[in-house]
This record gives sequence, C-alpha cells and structure tokens, in this order.
Amino acid sequence: MFALITGGSGSGKSEYAENRATELARKTGLPLYYIATMRPFGEEGRKRVERHQRLRSGKGFHTIERYVNLKELKLPQTGVVLLECLSNLTANEMFEPDGAGGDTPKEVLLGIRKIRSGSRHLIAVTNDIFSDGITYDKTTEQYQRYLGRINQELAGEADEVTEVVCGIPLCLKASASK
Amino acid sequence: MILVTGGAFQGKKAYAMETFPLEESKIVDGRSCSWEEIYTAGGILHFHEYIRRSLEEGRELKTLAEDLARRNPEAVIVVNELGSGVVPVDAFDRSYRETTGRICCELAKKAREVHRVVCGIGMVIKHD
Repeated sequence: MFALITGGSGSGKSEYAENRATELARKTGLPLYYIATMRPFGEEGRKRVERHQRLRSGKGFHTIERYVNLKELKLPQTGVVLLECLSNLTANEMFEPDGAGGDTPKEVLLGIRKIRSGSRHLIAVTNDIFSDGITYDKTTEQYQRYLGRINQELAGEADEVTEVVCGIPLCLKASASK
Repeated sequence: MILVTGGAFQGKKAYAMETFPLEESKIVDGRSCSWEEIYTAGGILHFHEYIRRSLEEGRELKTLAEDLARRNPEAVIVVNELGSGVVPVDAFDRSYRETTGRICCELAKKAREVHRVVCGIGMVIKHD
C-alpha cells in the first residue's frame, strides 16, 4: 500500500502519518522505518528535528537519514516505511551540491518508486506550499513547479491520498479495498 | 458556471480539461486575454491574474462575478486558491489577495459546481 499525505505547515500531517505507519507495522508485525530527509541547519533546524524525534520516540521507528539519492538506499528488510518529507527531499535534490539539479522530479520519483517496491507499505508525507498566493522568484517558482509535479505523479500512483487540516484527515483518494 | 480552485501547480487545468467538455480553442488565459473575452470563452484559466491586471489598471470589479454569471453562465473558471499565507506587507498584494478571495466566494455562490484540486485530484465541494 502506498499512501501520500499532504497538508500545510503545522497541520498535524506528521502525527497522522506516524499513527498510520505504526498501525500498519503493528498489524503486519513488520519493522518500521522512518526515512528522515531534513538536513538540520543551525539551531532552528536542530530543534525541529529534535521535536520530531521526541514525537517518534517509543513508537518503534528505526530512523534512516537520507537527504538525496533515495534510489540507492537499501532498506535492511521489507517493512513499513514512513518518509518525511518530499518537500525537503525535493529542495535537497534541487539545491544541494550532491543533488540532482534539473533532474530533480525524475530522481525523486525514481527514489520513491524504488522504496515502494522494496517495502510492504509506504507512507510519504509532502507539503502544501502552493496556496499563499505569492509569486516567488524564478528559482523558488521552479521548486514549487517540481514539487507540484512530483505530488501529482505520486497522487496518481498512490492507493490513498489524504489532506490533513487542523489534525483532521480529509480523504482525497481511497483504495477500493478499504 | 463551474469554478475550479486549488493552489498553484496542482494540475487544475489538466483536471478541468479532463472533467469538462472544453475545447482548447475556446479557452482564454487571464494573464493575457482582453477584458471582454472572458464573457464569450468556454474556459478561463488563471482568472486571478485577470483580477490582478484589473486592479493594476484601476478597473471596477464590484460587478465582475455578477456580470460573468449573467453573461457567460456556462463558463468553466480556473482560479488559484491564494489566501493561505501571511498577510502581505505590500498594500496592493493585500488588496489583490482579498479581492480575489471575495470574488471567488461570490462566484462559488453563483456556480452550480465548485471543484477543488489538490495533488491533481479534484474534489467536488459544491454541486447543486
């Protein structure tokens, strides 16, 4: 099963995704992996990562830090994977020296498909960075375009797509079996 | 009238083309069309840009939604949802954001269908 979860900043999408992933791991008895894509920069970044680690602690996640080139990542075992989040991964691929640059959408999609085929269930968290009405500079707009394209592609492939608003999951797409 | 809304880069145009009987030749773009073209077009893309241009030129927009509903009741209007950020510092940006939001509310009220597109997936949020 592949689920895509979107929502704005502070919408509660991480918590929803974690609960969804832990529930799937419990049901299947499979290991639970957390792919963290945020490279912590400075004090604020460190605090953000710490907050997420605190929220995850005790839930049984094995954390794997991966900032770029997801397609080369080998998971120790078939399991349940929570990947957070696509907006960071896309930014890393676009802007980091070891990233994919102009091939970002292709590389991110390849990476996600690879993880998906190597795991029982994949929950991928993305980010709604499209609804503030601001026209950004060309580079930022390109970033929005890339992430928009990645989101649309993955939503098309996903069994479930959920938007979280104020902690409430809204179902955009559900698998027929549910 | 049908309103298709959603954030930028969500696949709204592709969704509208798939969902409604729209001919490419009957579609106009709010970024570049004439003031009158929206009243005869089958579909209007980037309608928020039409509003932005109107504001820049100081055009009266009070009756825009009403005029559109009356003169082009079969139009499919595609517009960006753009009110979910911090209040813009610039006065024009504030007015643009607010005006677009208000006009969309009015259009939604008059529309027989409103669709919201997220990650390429449309959700019908109003259907008379």
